[in-house]
Amino acid sequence: MKPKVAFFDFAGCEGCQLQIANLEEDVLKLIDIVEIVSFREIMKEHSDEYDIAVIEGSIMRPMDEERLKKIRKNAKILVALGACACIGSVQRMLNQWPIEESKKIVYNNFKETKNNPYFDNFSTKAVDEVVKVDAYVPGCPIDRNEFARVLVALVQGKKPPIPDYPLCVECKKKENVCLFELGKFCMGPITRAGCDAICPTHGNECEGCRGFISHPEERAYTEVLEKYGLSVEEILQRKTMFTYRYVEKTKKEAKKDE
Amino acid sequence: MKIISKKEFLAFIDALIEDVSIDVEGVKAKGEKFVFGPLESSDELRLDHDVTILPPKKYFLPQYETMMTFDLSKPFSVERVENPKERVIIGVHPYDIIAIKQMDTYFLDTHVDDSYLQRRKNTLIIGSNILNVAEKAFFGDMGTGFVDSGYDLMLTDMGDKIAIDIGTEAGEKLLNKYVHSLQEATPNDVQKVRTIIENASAKAKRGLLVKPEGWRDLLEKNYNSDVWKSQAEKCLGCGTCTLVCPTCFCYDINDEIDLNLTTGKRIRTWDGCLLRDFTKVGSGEIFRESMEDRYRHRYNRKGRYLPDMLGFVACVGCGRCSSQCIPDIADPVNLINKIAETSQSIKKSEITPLTTEDKLVSATVEESLHLPRPATLKRVEKLTELETFFEIELDDGCPLGHQPGQFVEISVMGFGEAPISISSAPNGNTFELVVRRVGDVTSKLHTMKPGDKVGIRGPFGKGFDVKALKGRDLLFIGGGLGIVPMRSLINYVLNNRQDFGEVTILYGCKRPCEMLFKDEVAEWETRKDIQFMKSVDKCPEGESWDGEIGVITCLIPKAKFDPKSTIAIVVGPPIMYRFVIRDLLNLGMPEENIIVSLERRMKCGVGKCGHCQINGIYVCKDGPVFNYKDVKDLPEAFT
Amino acid sequence: MSKINIAVKHLTRVEGHGNIVFNVKDGTIEKIQWQVSEAPRMFESFLRGRPYHQMSHITSRICGICSIGHALCSLKATEAAMGIEVSEQTVLLRKLALHGENMQSHILHVGYLVAPDLFRVGSVFPMIETHTDTVLKIIKLHRLANEMSDLMCGRTTHPITLIPGGFTAIPSEKQLRNLKQKLIDIIPICDDVIQTVLDNIHMLPDFSRETEYIALTTDDEYALYDGVIGSTDTGRHPIEEYESIVNEFVVPHSTAKFTRHARESYMVGALARFNLNSDQLTPLAKKCAKKFGLKAVNYNPFMNNVAQLIEYYHSVEDSITLIDKLLERGLKKKDNTKYKVRGGRGIGAVEVPRGILFHDYTYNDQGICTKANLVIPTNQNHNNITKDMEIFAPMLLDKSEKEIELNLEMLVRAYDPCISCSTHYLKVEFKR
Repeated sequence: MKPKVAFFDFAGCEGCQLQIANLEEDVLKLIDIVEIVSFREIMKEHSDEYDIAVIEGSIMRPMDEERLKKIRKNAKILVALGACACIGSVQRMLNQWPIEESKKIVYNNFKETKNNPYFDNFSTKAVDEVVKVDAYVPGCPIDRNEFARVLVALVQGKKPPIPDYPLCVECKKKENVCLFELGKFCMGPITRAGCDAICPTHGNECEGCRGFISHPEERAYTEVLEKYGLSVEEILQRKTMFTYRYVEKTKKEAKKDE
Repeated sequence: MKIISKKEFLAFIDALIEDVSIDVEGVKAKGEKFVFGPLESSDELRLDHDVTILPPKKYFLPQYETMMTFDLSKPFSVERVENPKERVIIGVHPYDIIAIKQMDTYFLDTHVDDSYLQRRKNTLIIGSNILNVAEKAFFGDMGTGFVDSGYDLMLTDMGDKIAIDIGTEAGEKLLNKYVHSLQEATPNDVQKVRTIIENASAKAKRGLLVKPEGWRDLLEKNYNSDVWKSQAEKCLGCGTCTLVCPTCFCYDINDEIDLNLTTGKRIRTWDGCLLRDFTKVGSGEIFRESMEDRYRHRYNRKGRYLPDMLGFVACVGCGRCSSQCIPDIADPVNLINKIAETSQSIKKSEITPLTTEDKLVSATVEESLHLPRPATLKRVEKLTELETFFEIELDDGCPLGHQPGQFVEISVMGFGEAPISISSAPNGNTFELVVRRVGDVTSKLHTMKPGDKVGIRGPFGKGFDVKALKGRDLLFIGGGLGIVPMRSLINYVLNNRQDFGEVTILYGCKRPCEMLFKDEVAEWETRKDIQFMKSVDKCPEGESWDGEIGVITCLIPKAKFDPKSTIAIVVGPPIMYRFVIRDLLNLGMPEENIIVSLERRMKCGVGKCGHCQINGIYVCKDGPVFNYKDVKDLPEAFT
Repeated sequence: MSKINIAVKHLTRVEGHGNIVFNVKDGTIEKIQWQVSEAPRMFESFLRGRPYHQMSHITSRICGICSIGHALCSLKATEAAMGIEVSEQTVLLRKLALHGENMQSHILHVGYLVAPDLFRVGSVFPMIETHTDTVLKIIKLHRLANEMSDLMCGRTTHPITLIPGGFTAIPSEKQLRNLKQKLIDIIPICDDVIQTVLDNIHMLPDFSRETEYIALTTDDEYALYDGVIGSTDTGRHPIEEYESIVNEFVVPHSTAKFTRHARESYMVGALARFNLNSDQLTPLAKKCAKKFGLKAVNYNPFMNNVAQLIEYYHSVEDSITLIDKLLERGLKKKDNTKYKVRGGRGIGAVEVPRGILFHDYTYNDQGICTKANLVIPTNQNHNNITKDMEIFAPMLLDKSEKEIELNLEMLVRAYDPCISCSTHYLKVEFKR
């Protein structure tokens, strides 16, 4: 019996789901091992009976939280797909300010936004801040081959093979010239590998879109950035782009200590 | 020494490139840096390079190497992947050639790595003497700027002409195939080459305070120096130093399965001791966790453990780790000097020069080091919530031929390979394993039925020295899962009861439901010719227990044995050792009377992948059974 | 039919979340509405205070399908603000990137999202059995487009190599030559897919409503990367006047704003581009248009799908021309423009697959964004969709409820809406 898989999207750009379509001919292999029962972006049919639920997007409104909780009840396994679902991605930067302030700026107090569930944003949440997540596929966007590996592992009953070491490992194996040597500031040393160091390979700094490894050497890394001439502000600019979730956590912990 | 004009040399290279039967790899530019890569024309070749980003080790131990393919649609189908293509690498510096010799010593010893051997045999090495010295290179200090063997040809680029030193017959053959106008070198030429070599070594000196001969002693004397901590505080744990190092060759092996869930491959990839999960076992425990420990281990392995094991300092002064370490703490010169500044005086040790050419010629492979043998599950019995018993027979009908205390690597293709202690005495055609469910492989095993097939490699490791135990009084102390490997020895002893003196067995678990081998335990309890006692840490509601309650050390004073003459065999979780051994020593038991079996992450089983190291010893090769005396001074043994 | 209650919640086979509501009671139409319910991520709030070198990376995350278009438009705005002029090579390479995205998006839309309607099935999955050959060919067309975008930008979704002043890495001449051959080879496969669509084109409704069409336009070529604003009603306008063209306003049933210009609504996208610039299409594209009998000015929104197929040919052919030009000039490895970071305001306009896109940034002297305004193509279509629906829906009253629902869905799908993109674009004020 093929496991049933359903895809759901919340607040995101749908680029991660597009990566699944980008598996091209391999999509045909994919539907040989699982049965897709719901995938709003490409099919009309929908079923509430599924084994694996794949969630793309962050949770930003109470109505979204409710929808997600229903999905969690239906699913045996829940997968967080992409940075929006795993860590919050760029919209997590909203959490720098009180949500009312953002709403004011965006909607200019337009009266129809009041008491309207469509506009009822709270601060951005990752999926595991609302329900339990069984597997993560990080990245912005995901690496489609990594998604295939995770899905295969879930069907096999194996632990999804997501690395817990820094990007530097993959970058060095590819014999890339380290971006620090080119005067750039790469977040590779604290970011989770698995993307095959795609951005440094193309000459662009890693921006941390896959989230940090479970034990990043943040202090040593910050020292390195300072040594290479970045100001505190510039360091924070980089840390807040995708990985504001970790900055938030540090802020929270600092508050607790006070 | 021969001489060839530059023009003719380039024609030689182009002719090599044209020859489709041989792959031509050489040093070329990558941006402002250099790398070894496929050459498309001779003008790409850069003999003037200072250092490459990655060393040529990638040709013999690739970053990602498919070791074998498997097909799950058949009962057990595993095929080794061959690498027959001939290849030549051009531009290898002397220090890298020395590093390759070190790798040969390591991979072609008693357990010959067949993949490595095939790649080595198919590759011709054309070295080149160093013209430009990288900023962080210190091969002058290390004495690795010159080498007179280990290459097929050695080039020295003198501008308008190239000097060629012929190293092997194969090199000569290659040269003669394409070049027909070689001249003899004049004494002037020979002197020029010598000068080039000396100049490079002279430039590659950075004031190393302690020569390699002294590293061993320096590192041993300063194991607890503050320098380790202060350096490690800046370490990012990114693994760069080990990845770019020509003399680092630890690896990991993983199974990857295709989207069709049927075919797949087993892949070897580089791993490094600086990465946090390097020593992580299935149950999640990490045996070398702190950055300080990991940072210190790398230097000790290179400057102390490998010299002790194989006679060479595993550092050739290339400077790669130093120039590529972002926080700049990987530089061996800086590190050695920092430690030397605060160290007491040190003495030099012997460094044997490497001659591995004979190894390369004589090394043969009877069977692949990595290929598992098919075996069938004969019996599968669930013992407890987490542990299942398996009786296994090799498909070729041969007995496993193991010693008590040894282990096997069991493969479930598509899931991986796991080290499991053998739990049965060495008799008959089958052997028994007890597997605790902790990860992918073991979880899958637990779902398998009699008739299913698995792969077996081994038996591996040093087991219990049964001969030395003959005639002695024995005290077995088994905690939790430790009873599993001990059972192989216990059953052997009980099967040959008359060969041994007094036998006492103490067995402790956390709770009654976790007790293994309930039937055999019941039998031990009734035997008159042994003393048996059991305990549990606690007995929760609903479970019944008729033994002692307390940690296993509570049984020791209750047992009757002569501490001075009894041999104690102790196997259990890491925390148990400390207390049990302390109690035994307090009773006056000599250290050499205590035998332990230690667990670490074991992958290859033959002392190559590096994961199971406790300081300088390999648990898979030097253990897992150890005499306490031999490991008591290893700082990493009993954490 | 006296009573119809159609409430399509979370329309399928479109990007983003939208609802269609159509209520009829006793033969009288009570409500026809296109609702945009997508969760607003409020980019305009968190773009505040971001440094210039992050802007294109952040804004590309607005959309997963047209991220290259967003990135390029963002870079044009930043470059306009800081007076950075990029080299001709950079422009040629960027145009190739945009073509790759155009191809990818159009074939995804027509092949995966619209084709099922032509065959009256729920998705492309059943078509794998019934029309295997066609599906495999569509996959080939999609794969090539992705390979092209990967080659030009490092990654097709959320490009990596696009930076202010140029690229972090460019393809080699060998790679461009390989790509050119692949583009040449894809044409017959394209022809086959076109034929299949042509054979089933009668499944698209024959509906027409006059409206205004707006797209980039320029003398040199079929405008995608560069140009000024063109309108079928009012002619040409400089990009700087975009706000007076777009005229955004809020409606209660949409988290995205609506727009209007010379009439009550206007349309952007492939059909708009065709209607304005069809004589600048490449020969193969013109041939395709002829096959479908599509002529400017066509007022049938369903023909947007056909216009997209025509543009696939155009992108393939024009890319071959661009590659030839690049190879003739010879690729320079280091061709990025050096610049100094400075304050200023800049507007970028680019045609992304779904229509004309505007990014308008203001920077302070440290290169920090203080003000940003973005107008998304689908924003500009929401109003037109609504107006079309108001005329089209009543025409369907004699059909079954299922058929009415399908036809209304097909209408929305024809626009190829990118809804999550569109729920964003309002003004940002960042006062320090």
